[in-house]
Amino acid sequence: MKPDLSVIIGSLNLKNPVMTASGTFGYGLEYADYFDPAMLGGIITKTVTLEPRAGNRMPRIAETPAGMLNSIGLANVGVESFLESKLPELENLKTAVIANIAGNTVEEYCLLLQKIANHPRVDAIEVNVSCPNVEQGGLAFGADASVIEEIMHCMRPETDKPLIVKLTPNVTDIQSIAAAAESAGADALSLINTVLGMGVDIQTRKPLLARITGGLSGPAIKPIALAKVYQAAQAVSIPIIGLGGIMTGEDAVEFLIAGASAVQVGTLNFIQPDGALQVISGIEKYCIDHGIERIQDLVGTLAEA
Amino acid sequence: MYIESCEILTHEAITKTVYRIVVSSERLARECYPGQFLHVKVREAIDPLLRRPLSVHRVIPKKNTIELLYRVVGHGTRLMSGLKSGELLNVMGPLGNGFDLETPFDHAVIVAGGMGGAPVFFLIDTLLDMGKQVTLIWGVGDGKEIFGIETFKARGVDVQIATEDGTVGKKGLVTDLLIPFLAKEKNNSTLCGFVCGPECMLSSVQKLAGKTSFPWQASLEERMACGIGVCRGCGVQLRNADMKMVCDDGPVFNLKEIYFEA
Repeated sequence: MKPDLSVIIGSLNLKNPVMTASGTFGYGLEYADYFDPAMLGGIITKTVTLEPRAGNRMPRIAETPAGMLNSIGLANVGVESFLESKLPELENLKTAVIANIAGNTVEEYCLLLQKIANHPRVDAIEVNVSCPNVEQGGLAFGADASVIEEIMHCMRPETDKPLIVKLTPNVTDIQSIAAAAESAGADALSLINTVLGMGVDIQTRKPLLARITGGLSGPAIKPIALAKVYQAAQAVSIPIIGLGGIMTGEDAVEFLIAGASAVQVGTLNFIQPDGALQVISGIEKYCIDHGIERIQDLVGTLAEA
Repeated sequence: MYIESCEILTHEAITKTVYRIVVSSERLARECYPGQFLHVKVREAIDPLLRRPLSVHRVIPKKNTIELLYRVVGHGTRLMSGLKSGELLNVMGPLGNGFDLETPFDHAVIVAGGMGGAPVFFLIDTLLDMGKQVTLIWGVGDGKEIFGIETFKARGVDVQIATEDGTVGKKGLVTDLLIPFLAKEKNNSTLCGFVCGPECMLSSVQKLAGKTSFPWQASLEERMACGIGVCRGCGVQLRNADMKMVCDDGPVFNLKEIYFEA
């Protein structure tokens, strides 16, 4: 029997628990030549900001053992172009579309939300308060529970659509941050964004990234992500969307057991364009092999050591 | 689906650090055109994680073979150099916008530096098939890295070589050969320039190209992850302040429009 892979995140019903992470799947159709994105549980679009951004200087990506460093810097088309030319292309796409936004100030988050929340193609909003590669906002906001509360208090009255707060792992106490987001009205949390990292070319003594530090992603960060997801799940009752280094269905199942209700696939998309589909089929196979009828029954079922 | 596991037919070292790998693919042999690249997964493992962009060195349509040329520079290419014939190579592609050969010209002057020689072979093969006149100015550090030029000479290509060690051709840089060439040809409107190599060379050639009355196409290299414009990692700054992606908008650009810091 086919297991029921559907999950519920706030008022969002997803056909399966696998979404593509912001910044790794463009605006939704870039990989359509490789597979039908409607097969995904949902897509999370590239972070948009009020104004278009070109991003940081090159080099802004580098490879590290089982990982990738990036300092892209939220390069994006800007919210107006997103509304005019990107979202309309997704009109007939039969999966959830979650728009990711980031502001330089609390007010900008609010303004962005007002612009996109009522768009019929936006099913939910992911609030990026965790980008390590920008001068203003970003990581500095996400590491401060009071700023997250301020942003949420400003945004919450503006929409009934699910607000998903994407958290950074670069904090001492993920539980207090997660709890603050929940009490300020978040419907769900995504974690983790990239881990602050750096690499050095010892021949030239130059940093691998022009911006010196950047965000580490890929399998190298999976244990960190699992620990943060587990810890956050102990502190909140809203659903958690886990991400960080997921390459296979088995990786995704680890996140679900640790307490995530759904997952996102990020860096894998860059290497294997249809990798997210393999994650979905891997989860399905695990359920069949282990007699799990509903994927929701697996969430947070970590056994005693 | 544009991902394919291609059988490796031959794999050999051309110099101590430069390797040629020949793979079999009827589809790629049909679809690739000069200046495009393949995104290669060195092995099925999480390390090395990312694919490697390698320009198409040569296509032999009759044999359905694709040749890639690469230099061993790090962990990924070192592992790649250990692949044996008979094994499979996972490639994504062909990717990118290659050279524009529709533009009207009779005579191509091709300037290549170091591994920039890799895509140039496919370009020359194609230009000769089109009946174009070709001048190749190729510069390398070590004369041992010059290979395969005799067949081009036999087909009428004007081959000029510069080596930093002086073991082959003129001792010096490609610009030492390009300057006298352009002294005669800079206003020849039947020419089209093609350039491929490290950024410092492209920047020098751009300064010379700026004084010519014919167009120049440059093939760029940049670190990349996705290879199709999604990750936004491989930006190139244009003089009009636009940023383009090497993988998806390029890798071939109008040389005169590129902004170089140096």
